[in-house]
Amino acid sequence: MLQEQVIYRVLTAALETGADFAEIFAEDKTSGRLEMVGGMLESSLSGRDYGVGIRVLQGNFSVYAYTNDSSEENLIDTARSAAAAIRGGAAGSRVMDLRRTVTDNRHYIGIMPDSSQKKRNIELMRRAHSTATAYDPSIAQTKIHAMNQLQNILIANTEGLLVQDIRVYTRLGISAVAEDGDQKQSGFSGPGAYAGHEFLESLDIEEHARKASRIAVTMVKAGNAPSGRLPVIIDNGFGGVLFHEACGHGLESTAVAPGSSVFAGKIGERVASPLVTAVDDGTIANAWGSLNIDDEGAKTQRNVLIENGILKGYLIDRMGSRRMGMPSTGSGRRQSYKFAPASRMNNTFISNGTSTREEIIANTEYGIYAKSMGGGSVNTATSDFNFAVQEAYIIRNGKIAEPVKGATLIGKGIDCLSKIDMVGNNLEHGQGMCGSVSGSLPVNCGQPTIRVSEMTVGGRKGE
Amino acid sequence: MNIEEFQEVLFAKGREAGFTEMEIYYANGRSTSVSVLKGEIDAYNIVESGGLSFRGLIGGKMGYSSTERLDNESIAYLLDEAGSNAEVLENEEPEELFAGSEHYHSVNTYSASLIKTPPDQLIEAALAMERIALNADHRIDMVRRSAASVSESEVLISNTKGLNCHRQHSSASASIYVLAKESKDAKETVTGGWFDFSLRSFDDIDLEAVALTGVREAVSKLGASTVQSDNYPIIFRNDAATSLLSSFASVFSAESVDKGFSRLKGKLGEQVAGSNISIIDDPLMVNVPSSKAFDAEGSATARHELIKDGRLLTFLHNRKTARKAGAANTANAAKGGYKGLVEVSHHNLYIAPGAASLAEIIRKTDRGILIVELQGLHAGTNATSGSFSLAAIGYLIEHGEIVRPVNQITVSGNFFELLNGIEEIGNDLRFIGSCTSPSLKVSSLSVSGA
Repeated sequence: MLQEQVIYRVLTAALETGADFAEIFAEDKTSGRLEMVGGMLESSLSGRDYGVGIRVLQGNFSVYAYTNDSSEENLIDTARSAAAAIRGGAAGSRVMDLRRTVTDNRHYIGIMPDSSQKKRNIELMRRAHSTATAYDPSIAQTKIHAMNQLQNILIANTEGLLVQDIRVYTRLGISAVAEDGDQKQSGFSGPGAYAGHEFLESLDIEEHARKASRIAVTMVKAGNAPSGRLPVIIDNGFGGVLFHEACGHGLESTAVAPGSSVFAGKIGERVASPLVTAVDDGTIANAWGSLNIDDEGAKTQRNVLIENGILKGYLIDRMGSRRMGMPSTGSGRRQSYKFAPASRMNNTFISNGTSTREEIIANTEYGIYAKSMGGGSVNTATSDFNFAVQEAYIIRNGKIAEPVKGATLIGKGIDCLSKIDMVGNNLEHGQGMCGSVSGSLPVNCGQPTIRVSEMTVGGRKGE
Repeated sequence: MNIEEFQEVLFAKGREAGFTEMEIYYANGRSTSVSVLKGEIDAYNIVESGGLSFRGLIGGKMGYSSTERLDNESIAYLLDEAGSNAEVLENEEPEELFAGSEHYHSVNTYSASLIKTPPDQLIEAALAMERIALNADHRIDMVRRSAASVSESEVLISNTKGLNCHRQHSSASASIYVLAKESKDAKETVTGGWFDFSLRSFDDIDLEAVALTGVREAVSKLGASTVQSDNYPIIFRNDAATSLLSSFASVFSAESVDKGFSRLKGKLGEQVAGSNISIIDDPLMVNVPSSKAFDAEGSATARHELIKDGRLLTFLHNRKTARKAGAANTANAAKGGYKGLVEVSHHNLYIAPGAASLAEIIRKTDRGILIVELQGLHAGTNATSGSFSLAAIGYLIEHGEIVRPVNQITVSGNFFELLNGIEEIGNDLRFIGSCTSPSLKVSSLSVSGA
């Protein structure tokens, strides 16, 4: 993407005012998105994103600049204007010899995405539409999208790093809307992977279409969820968004380093029930949130965050490493060249326990069974989190009873993790997009079925 | 290649490739932003970027593509992709390009000097706000972010039918976000923030007011606890009401209506809200950040009343939805940046303010909850059904007075029912984005707490 001599000269310009580190992140990304509404292909979009981000560090002071114009002249100008913000640094830093390193690719990509797959993808989407529509007469509308992305990156820095990687993403999203009189409810299923077109070919599309329709149909006929503090069973897979919000964001060095996370200074302390072991693993082959190298060029790792309830580690990027005096955990990520990297999650999950789903349900006299989760958010400073349940049922006398809609779960991270009193043996991962300071990123959220002994459920029914 | 050159080559090559009509939508922006932490500069961003969206008619269908790189390679990419995208489309409503409106209102949204604000002034401002906040109250544990920025942007739409629209925007802003604790060892942390902006000059921003408001927003939440689960009268302060309205604003889009994603379908001319409710989209307001003279198709914008005294008068349209519905185009074509399709969105959507101040509304409330912050809006609202169930932060009101802060609650209801149950509308509209609401009081909503 960029010549080595150009990189060298740009990094040199970035150090002119005495910065102690400079980095280039160049990106050339093409993406395609097909959208089908009610079985008709309504839109097909293609785009090419291209740009270069330059970061200059002096101690804890970070300057970030980006541009779409990658001519040498403009890159040097951009580096100089970034460097101009650094003043009073000790002169004398210099660029080390750039050592081009080869990235070990852990992810098999079968078929690279390109526009020749459009027609085949449309056939697959039409299958999703037919299955979703045939599921129940109350299905009134479907919206299906298929997306692919091919991201070429180059990262170089003044420590001598020069590395390139190619990242491939493929995802299908199926949304079904059920109508019952004046009521409308939607259901969604969105499988995705760090993989090529072969992912869609091997996917059980019918199963995902039926899932989206099942949620919509069940919820349109459901009554309102109760309000108050109840035991909550959260099913496996994307249910791991609970951990992602309740705890994961609070373990990112972006929040921990300045001391604005409730988890700051708690390594070695008990922060969760002894049943909880939680991991962030960027290395899982072909997983939606995996990377060979993070967006600072560091190899991704398997990071144990909590082991048997004890806090073991944080998610740390380069700035976090400087501020905390701890090594990077390969967790520096950014949506694109338009964002400075920040510590972010990859594939975060709670490890398997020993209970079965059936045992957990049978052991619950009255509570909520959250079968399918929506998204959520957290304030890391207060650890207040919230998330929406897509599909929920009442548990009564140890059995799944009637469905309920509109259940929102809220709580405080440490409090909620301490109240996990049963952990299943059926770990699965779900795919989501995580939005934060460095943009919107693919992440996996995973867990086995778990039970929280008490959570605040926000429904509409006074019970 | 500069943009004029690029357009010339693109259209020439496009004609050779069989495109009969072509259009570019070009946007670019520059900004400088600074944030400080503990008396030092924490982040300093200088950015400049742009991109171009192409659309063209080929084989009777409109194909779209985009690029951020203006070079020869991208011209081939744009034409190939737009061609193959057009080929697979199945929608039967043909789109067509627009030659332009006869008359455009003049909307002044640009100050050429604003982007030249010296970076040192931004740094000083961020440092000053941090200092003011830390000195204002001993319970401020940390200023998590104190930031200042200036930015400018431009949009150019130009096509083979003669359309040529250009506009520029500029703005400056200052913001603060603080953490407060009762004491150093206290377990409970609360947060709060504030921001203000100017479209003319950074000097117009009252930095002290931003810092002190941020402080007040945080410390007033100290000692918060939940409430008993029950139905309560609820006052949404203007910022909370704004986030709620924003989450449901898409129900006014004719595109959502047409595709079955809005419950307002088939309700034109009907009473859909209380007679005290009027909802207006006015892109021509002065000193409002999203004002503009033309939409994403180059149509001249105008003020429209969507709901008047509770009656639904029109949906928001672009050229395509207007033609399909046999309605007048309201010039609400929008693009999600330069990458997206032409869709439908509001410009400055707002609920018409009432006469009462927030203080009066509180005084007239015997028992209720004032909500100042709603969380998880992206997941806890369903624009299709209108339902919402959201984590909230606010204050308990008893006998017309705020008695204590409240947290760990959710508030649930339905947007369409809400529009019919508003008892009081505040006089406190604050235009900060493209969708704005004054404070609203509703007689009863379900609250989940203890």
